[in-house]
Amino acid sequence: MKESAQLALPLRVDAEVRENRAEGGSNFRLRLAVAGWPGAEPGRFVMLSPGARGAALRFDPLLPRPMAVYRTLGVAAPPEIEVLYKVAGRGTRLLAETHAGDRVRVVGPLGVPFAMPVAGRCALLVGGGTGIASLYELAARAAQRGPVVVMLGARSEAELMGCDDFAALGVELRIATEDGSRGHRGRVTELLEAALDAGAGGEAIYACGPTPMMRRAAEIAALRGRSCQVSLENRMACGFGVCLGCAVPRADGSIALVCRDGPVFEAGQVAWAGLP
Amino acid sequence: MGGPAVSTVDTRVKLGGIALRNPVLTASGTFGYGAEFAPFFDLARIGGIVAKSITLEPRQGNRPPRIAETPAGMLNAIGLENVGVDAFITEKLPALAAGVVVVASVFETEIDRYAEVCKRLSGVPRVAGLEINASCPHVKSGGIEFGQRAEVLAQLVRATRRATSAPLLVKLSPNVTDIREMARVCEGEGADGLSLVNTLQALDIDIETRRPVLSNVLGGLSGPAIRPVALRMVWQASQAVRIPICGIGGIMNAEDAIKFLICGATAVQVGTANYLNPLAALEVAEGIEAHARRHGVARVADLVGTIEVPAR
Repeated sequence: MKESAQLALPLRVDAEVRENRAEGGSNFRLRLAVAGWPGAEPGRFVMLSPGARGAALRFDPLLPRPMAVYRTLGVAAPPEIEVLYKVAGRGTRLLAETHAGDRVRVVGPLGVPFAMPVAGRCALLVGGGTGIASLYELAARAAQRGPVVVMLGARSEAELMGCDDFAALGVELRIATEDGSRGHRGRVTELLEAALDAGAGGEAIYACGPTPMMRRAAEIAALRGRSCQVSLENRMACGFGVCLGCAVPRADGSIALVCRDGPVFEAGQVAWAGLP
Repeated sequence: MGGPAVSTVDTRVKLGGIALRNPVLTASGTFGYGAEFAPFFDLARIGGIVAKSITLEPRQGNRPPRIAETPAGMLNAIGLENVGVDAFITEKLPALAAGVVVVASVFETEIDRYAEVCKRLSGVPRVAGLEINASCPHVKSGGIEFGQRAEVLAQLVRATRRATSAPLLVKLSPNVTDIREMARVCEGEGADGLSLVNTLQALDIDIETRRPVLSNVLGGLSGPAIRPVALRMVWQASQAVRIPICGIGGIMNAEDAIKFLICGATAVQVGTANYLNPLAALEVAEGIEAHARRHGVARVADLVGTIEVPAR
């Protein structure tokens, strides 16, 4: 995605944990006070070093984890950011053990943000699992420009996150759960299909979640001749374009870095079958 | 060693003809072409940067997955993705502020091509010196062979030495039986200094899929996990040759770097630490100076090779 506007420059700061709250399932919400935080355009991310306690960094696990900036709480001083994550391995397990007052190293904001919808056009946002974390700020800003429909999906109601936050933005919220415990029973991409088929056309489509979900959203968009922005995930060591570890293939055979060229990509440019 | 604390410390060192304001460089492949770190600190405050290895032509690198985390370390098999020597000279070097010391790192698959890249870099005003990457362990067609066989290494250093009058460092592979032999070969062929170590050749497996974690199968191990191995090799090499040594391997902070100086390294390179802490190199440089001040060491160069081995 291209962004002509100047993006906020990244900083490295040892942030203070304000709150680290379990949110059902293995989901957590981490709130960090980040001195000097410049704000983050929708879709950008931070690298978080899990397990850093006090001033000392921990070297095992060694690498920081990329996490979407869910939102910036700009009224606080220093500014606070929230991150939503799911415990999936060693790094996130350590992150889940941090308490208020602990320090977590933050590098960011990083990456290329979502391109905003054309003013007045409807924006359709599709989020699955912790992928919704990339969409909150987008929903908030898009809502100032036109109508927004947010479709959130999870396996069950217990694993849904952020519904109240999105609802408070005044956007239209549609829910899908695979077990039917809340909203539509089935996949969130089915809501996207229905919305497109019922819509007036011209909607801007955004998707973030597990790769199969984004791939399906991309297919649904492509079948209707529509573009779709997706936010990819990958392993990365640095987050700012030097380790070259987060390479993914583009549809044209070239290589893109998720951290530097993304994480937001036009879905049609992604070689979906070649993703790790 | 040292006496009462001193108020000023002379941090300057000379590495094979390259004058450095302090003994901390960044390791090739961990610092991009430098500009990526400009938002974090003024690159003129560290000794210098060793740029990402460049080849005659641009290279795309390996398919993903290219990296994996390991205990206190990481594996990588990037495949030496780079912009090629010409774009390095015309696009990457001019992007760096004046005052940033740049060492160009050279990699190729044949000796003639190594020499050609060295020729093109010779006389480029922003290039303070060259580092020959004789040790990259993850490109099937080359790399490891040069650094692992003494006679091939000798040919490589001879050819690159002929190709340039710029300060010439040779970066050694740790994947050898005797690092002292390789160090002596480089010195004998006219290298101005040695950089060691590159990554340790390694493998990890996903037991569910039974597949290697990297697309390239083998990768290079870096990070704190390799530091004691690197320190041992720097100490051994420093006893075998008179040319200066740049110590590399899992340096995370100033304490780690000081160990390398004590073991005989004239300077150090910070590598993997740059990924998790983009200010790592600057903090290492500042920490070395603070250590010297506290310990009454007037010149950082006076720390070099001060290892005290008790009689056995």
